[in-house]
Amino acid sequence: METTNAIYAQGLLKSYGRVQALRGVDLEVRQGEIFGFLGPNGAGKTTTIRCLLDLIRPNGGTLRVLGIDPQANPVVIRRRVGYLPGELRFDEGMTVESALRYLNKLRGGQADWSHVLSLAERLDLNLKMAIRNLSKGNKQKMGVLQALMHRPELLLLDEPTFGLDPLVQQEVLRMVAEAREAGATIFFSSHILSEVQEIADRVGIIRLGKVVEVAETATLINRSLRRVRVHFKQRVASQALAQIPGVSLLTQDDGLSVTLQVEGEMDALIKQIAAYPVVDMETERPSLEEIFLAYYEQERVKVNSNH
Amino acid sequence: MFTNFWYSLGRSRGQILGWGLALAILGGYMVGFYDTLAAQQETLEQLLASYPPELMAFFGDMTEMFTPQGYLNVEFFSYMPLILGIYAVLAGSGLLAGDEESGSLDLVLAHPLSRTALFLGRLAAFATTTFLILLVSWAGFAVVVPGTNMDLTPMELLAPFLSLFVFLMLIGMVALFLSMALPSRRFAAMTGGMLLVAGFFLTSLARIDENLETAAKYSPFNYYQGGEAIGGLEWSWIGGLLGFAALFALLAWWRFERRDIRVGGEGGWGVPLPSFLKRRPARS
Repeated sequence: METTNAIYAQGLLKSYGRVQALRGVDLEVRQGEIFGFLGPNGAGKTTTIRCLLDLIRPNGGTLRVLGIDPQANPVVIRRRVGYLPGELRFDEGMTVESALRYLNKLRGGQADWSHVLSLAERLDLNLKMAIRNLSKGNKQKMGVLQALMHRPELLLLDEPTFGLDPLVQQEVLRMVAEAREAGATIFFSSHILSEVQEIADRVGIIRLGKVVEVAETATLINRSLRRVRVHFKQRVASQALAQIPGVSLLTQDDGLSVTLQVEGEMDALIKQIAAYPVVDMETERPSLEEIFLAYYEQERVKVNSNH
Repeated sequence: MFTNFWYSLGRSRGQILGWGLALAILGGYMVGFYDTLAAQQETLEQLLASYPPELMAFFGDMTEMFTPQGYLNVEFFSYMPLILGIYAVLAGSGLLAGDEESGSLDLVLAHPLSRTALFLGRLAAFATTTFLILLVSWAGFAVVVPGTNMDLTPMELLAPFLSLFVFLMLIGMVALFLSMALPSRRFAAMTGGMLLVAGFFLTSLARIDENLETAAKYSPFNYYQGGEAIGGLEWSWIGGLLGFAALFALLAWWRFERRDIRVGGEGGWGVPLPSFLKRRPARS
């Protein structure tokens, strides 16, 4: 089973002293997919990724990357993997080009330099710049470039668009999609739901060191909460709106404006609202944190009902 | 491993030139004064006789100051282990932990490079850097010595530098091991620095206090010959210092192979501690 997956983790445990960072992570990332790994700060995203490269050693569980145990053969895995760390640091005394050439030499010259130049051009990254003079965004571009330059089979990207402006974010997401088209598997962590929604085939949610949900991205989004604010021309019976399955009333101001929380599809609510004259309507996607909290709440309810 | 070695050595250019040239100039300048000093031997001997023995202890046998090897020892080699020892402590403790704490080691070790290869490359770069610093320093002496009345050839001058090199390797490896065992590079450098200074004082004071002689046997300064090496190298001492350097390098490698790579100053104690003293930060 595990050999058909690019990443296979079962019961992965990792503690830092008394702090349990991973509490039994179970994860299967299929070959050739883009897998978004979501979670709030401190959930265990970076710890999981660093275990995959044998930068840190789990205290328990089974882990396979491209069918290989990272602790048994880390060098073979690293040759086939491109990695963008969450906390990206380079030797500040080098230029972008000298640092990339050095990293490429560590790979035994795996990268085709014309490909490096092409990626740099697309990212609008000046290779002659000294790293110490680069902005945070440009350092992130450099990180993305070094992860992609040798056309790896598996990309491990920790917050790949962090610090980038929206245009470059789009370019990076295009590059990731192209890498997948070329056959690579992409495993990336993110806080940003919209980018996950844009490119990920499947999503895993990690919370408090445990994967609480793995789902197709569309399923997750459809299942997720939305906040809907409607401004009516006349007073409406807002309680009637709250009767719709999946809809709950958050606030109502003098019966003209209501704020509702909708879980799942919007169809029933839209049809009900259409019966009244509407001045304005806004929908707001929840932050990931709200989705996590919703999942967390569901889990808690499940546990309580089982007892 | 070689890519990593050349990269690390390249980063040490400043240290090689900075330390090497400064010591070469100091050495050349100091050797040039030998003839003047020897001409005033009688006056200086009277002056030295008035110095307190506690002060004299730190510079070796000052009655030998008017022989080339005694002069070189007092004026240079007696305090070089302390001065260059600071370099060795800083370089050794930062050899891996420096990049680890800055976060750049994370990326390097995500490349197809084993921890052992990284360790050996960095170790070789440290040894080469130390060797080149001493080589440049030696060149400063070697250029000036033939123009003085010192009855020494440049080749004979190599012996005290070899003794110093071996001593610095031990100090560097102790600092490297400390950086692998203690929670931070700064803590390792501080501990290494304190051990260095304590060893220096212990060995120096043991020259005037017999009660300290037994304790001084455990100090590496006791096995550093300095200028006295011109009269003949003590190969068992050289071998002993190298042996302990290898032992600490082995212990550091053993720790590095088994521990987590830290990011941004994260870290815990590598030495056994009671559980109530253990505290590690949470991270994602």
